[in-house]
Amino acid sequence: MKIAIKMLSIATIILWIVIFFFSVTAVYSVMNVGINLGKVQMLPSSKGIIFSLPFSITNNGYYELTDLNLTTRVTDPDGTVLDLTETFVSSIPQRTNVNASHTIPIDLDTIMSMDHVPLLLNDSSFNVEIFSGLNFARVIPVQLSTNVTMPWGAPFAHFSVGTISVSPYNSTHGEALIPVSFENHAILDITGTLKLEFYNNSDEQIVSGMTPISVPSQQSYSDRILAYPRQQDISKLTGSGNMHVIFETPMFTVEWWEPYG
Amino acid sequence: MAELNANFVTKTVLPKVLKATVWGIFTFVTVYYLPLMLIPKDIPQNILPFDYPAQLLEFAVISVFFAVVGQLFSGTVIGCGFGIARALVIIAYFFVVSEGGVFSVTLPISEVTVNLILDISILLLMIVSVNLLSIAKNLFEAIALLTEKSTRIDFT
Repeated sequence: MKIAIKMLSIATIILWIVIFFFSVTAVYSVMNVGINLGKVQMLPSSKGIIFSLPFSITNNGYYELTDLNLTTRVTDPDGTVLDLTETFVSSIPQRTNVNASHTIPIDLDTIMSMDHVPLLLNDSSFNVEIFSGLNFARVIPVQLSTNVTMPWGAPFAHFSVGTISVSPYNSTHGEALIPVSFENHAILDITGTLKLEFYNNSDEQIVSGMTPISVPSQQSYSDRILAYPRQQDISKLTGSGNMHVIFETPMFTVEWWEPYG
Repeated sequence: MAELNANFVTKTVLPKVLKATVWGIFTFVTVYYLPLMLIPKDIPQNILPFDYPAQLLEFAVISVFFAVVGQLFSGTVIGCGFGIARALVIIAYFFVVSEGGVFSVTLPISEVTVNLILDISILLLMIVSVNLLSIAKNLFEAIALLTEKSTRIDFT
């Protein structure tokens, strides 16, 4: 019995020393982990743009950091997931420095598709959820999460088409002037071709006009698009109808329908 | 009779009190002063999930109390009882402080609120295991003491 008690005493003391040693060295190691965040870079890609956040982690502690995971989820105000990106660093051994970058690819074709037309016309805000997790010394999982709201500026904010004025041009065609105005609230400049197609109440295409546009970020656009409808179609133009707006760039095409009149 | 009492005090009580005092001071230094010195002073209080000096002091008070009492009653069944009580109190204390092994803290950092979840359940498991060993040791000690007492032959 005495030997058993002695052995239990020794085991208890050893284990307390191990726990104490681990706790102290763990706290010391955490204090010696350095995280440096670089500047967010915006890089062009074949499908749109890539936001890149470079970061480096310097582990000057006594324990390895494993399974570092950084996940960002971007959702629109309706909760639709626009992007879900994950960056994984499997191991950061002690006394080492690891450089990595978290990249969020923005596929403009998807963002500016018909499903997101309200985002083209109205300012909004995106919800960015950031999750981060790692395993400290392979025994202590740590998780961090936060929520950030990112304002979204619509590239065609306050888009409006004024009253179409038609005047005779030649014997077969007339000349129509279509006043168009909008404000580019987006962070990017808009450069491309804007095409407008007008349909009357009976859904017959009456006139279409096209113009190249280049609107810098945070600037307004206001101009008149010139179109040449046929004489027989001018009489079919009704006070109200539908308008098909098509905006084309070498990278993407967006289109939407709007009533006019 | 008075001489017997004085003898008992000087030979039994006084060494135990002295030993208990030394153990109390040693425990206080080990459990409170040493960790306090090791933790850097420049950590901003608002980013810490809890008030660590206060928590450390609470733990130190519990540890010192049981260290002193354990030494005063060492070699007795009551001492073993206090040993078991200490283990149970430490298990309960760590469970309460660590919220069952999973810390969940909300830290306001500038304009952003960061949720931090720290899973120290393995560390807690180690502490529970050590204390369970301590309970087993104290139980064995109590059994040994009682057995010794019941089997002692009085030849006088």
